[in-house]
Amino acid sequence: MGEVSSSSEINQTAHRPLERTSLRQAPWWLIILGIGIVFVLLAMMRNEDYAKTLGYVLGGVGLSVVITVVAYVAALIIGLIAGLGRVSANPIAYHVATLYVEVMRGLPMLVIILYTQFVIAPMIGAQRNPALSGILALALGYGAYLAEVYRAGIESIERGQAEAARSLGMSAGQTMRHIILPQALRRVLPPLGNDFIAMLKDSSLLSAIGVNELTQLARIEGSRTFDYFRAFNSAAILYLILTLLLSLGVRLLERRTSSGRR
Amino acid sequence: MDDAKPIPHYIGTPIITMKGISRRFGHTLALDNVSLDVRRGEVLMIVGPSGSGKSTLLRCINYLELPDAGMVEIDGVVLSRHGVDLNRIREHVGMVFQRFELFPHLTVIQNIMLAQRIVAKRSPQASEQIARDLLAKVGIGEKADSYPVQLSGGQQQRVAIARSLAMQPKVMLFDEPTSALDPEMIKEVLDVMLDLAREGMTMVIVSHEMGFARAAANRVVFMDQGRIVEMGAPEQVFDNPHHDRTRLFLSKVLQH
Repeated sequence: MGEVSSSSEINQTAHRPLERTSLRQAPWWLIILGIGIVFVLLAMMRNEDYAKTLGYVLGGVGLSVVITVVAYVAALIIGLIAGLGRVSANPIAYHVATLYVEVMRGLPMLVIILYTQFVIAPMIGAQRNPALSGILALALGYGAYLAEVYRAGIESIERGQAEAARSLGMSAGQTMRHIILPQALRRVLPPLGNDFIAMLKDSSLLSAIGVNELTQLARIEGSRTFDYFRAFNSAAILYLILTLLLSLGVRLLERRTSSGRR
Repeated sequence: MDDAKPIPHYIGTPIITMKGISRRFGHTLALDNVSLDVRRGEVLMIVGPSGSGKSTLLRCINYLELPDAGMVEIDGVVLSRHGVDLNRIREHVGMVFQRFELFPHLTVIQNIMLAQRIVAKRSPQASEQIARDLLAKVGIGEKADSYPVQLSGGQQQRVAIARSLAMQPKVMLFDEPTSALDPEMIKEVLDVMLDLAREGMTMVIVSHEMGFARAAANRVVFMDQGRIVEMGAPEQVFDNPHHDRTRLFLSKVLQH
């Protein structure tokens, strides 16, 4: 009974009551977690000190989200270029892209961030704006991860597709752009979404270079009031709300891409 | 080029000339010094056991598979010559695959229009008109806006044929076009191919459809172990094969 696959909708409706399977499939953990978050939030609001702390830390959400979105868009572009390099027949493109990917993946994110702010930024006279360094660091670091996601997607497309395109006279570039990439992108949407969530969490590392994002504000508030419990509870619940909403979005994406055509 | 080999039969001058083609995969020699001419307007069938190199030979014609040695000439152009634009050659050599290989993210009409637009640089209107005419010709005009997954195998293969025809090919290559099809769909694809043959299209077909060979093929080539064993009119190769290997192969195929 448990091994009913979600794709065989026709069989399900024919053989068993619909409510049963949809109940089974409901994300109970998510509902419970959501209710828990609402209760904790309500409790925090009723306490005046907690409400103040929460309000202060909340001020960092905007910057965290903006930094993540900007860095992620940059990482999508860097990753696409590097990913195309990784599958390129051109040895220079391949080796440059591989070097970049391996170096970045071999470094801790925090080290990339510190290096960007304290080594690269001073060289170009830009250390005054740590948020920019942070965006650059996140984009470079995640560009490497996304490159591998793209590469896996591209390599998952059957060889016959490229052969059919080439046999119609399309160039290698046209084949990639019109045939391979559109199919590959559809397949890698869920992992791309997961990396967006991961980057949102990693944006907390920018507190180490003094960017006033969510985690940094929680640290400031904690050291000001000596109440780290409240400060980091506030930060934690705000992160949870953000990541849960996003992972819900990724699940929807997953469902849509897996039920769609190939 | 030269007509040293006596093939008195057919129609025009050679449009495809292959000389001394060899192709190795690891330790196995898939093609062993194969030479073959295909003439304008000719329907040539290549038969042989699996692993005999027939598909590899077909794929060498448009350089989808690069031969290790030998020469391919299509319509006067030697493919290995420096500066030859393979994309321009392939544009006019249609190819139909065993597994159809329609583009799943595009509708049927988009499948047929894409290469017309970006390779042949035709206008959207002209591309669409050609696509619709070809869909009608292969008998599935009403499926223009469907996606490939919504079609049966036979319908998909007919779309694939239409997609190749849209590039106005000089030659059509078929790589086992019916072997992934359910039996009841084979005929609809073969009928389309038969029409093409009657219109004078030059066709090279890797297939075991003996009935089709008798009805449409001018010549049958029997391959085994990377070599051409025997070649001739279908009646001669099927009914009166010269070689034991051909006879053995035919007895196995015809039993089924």
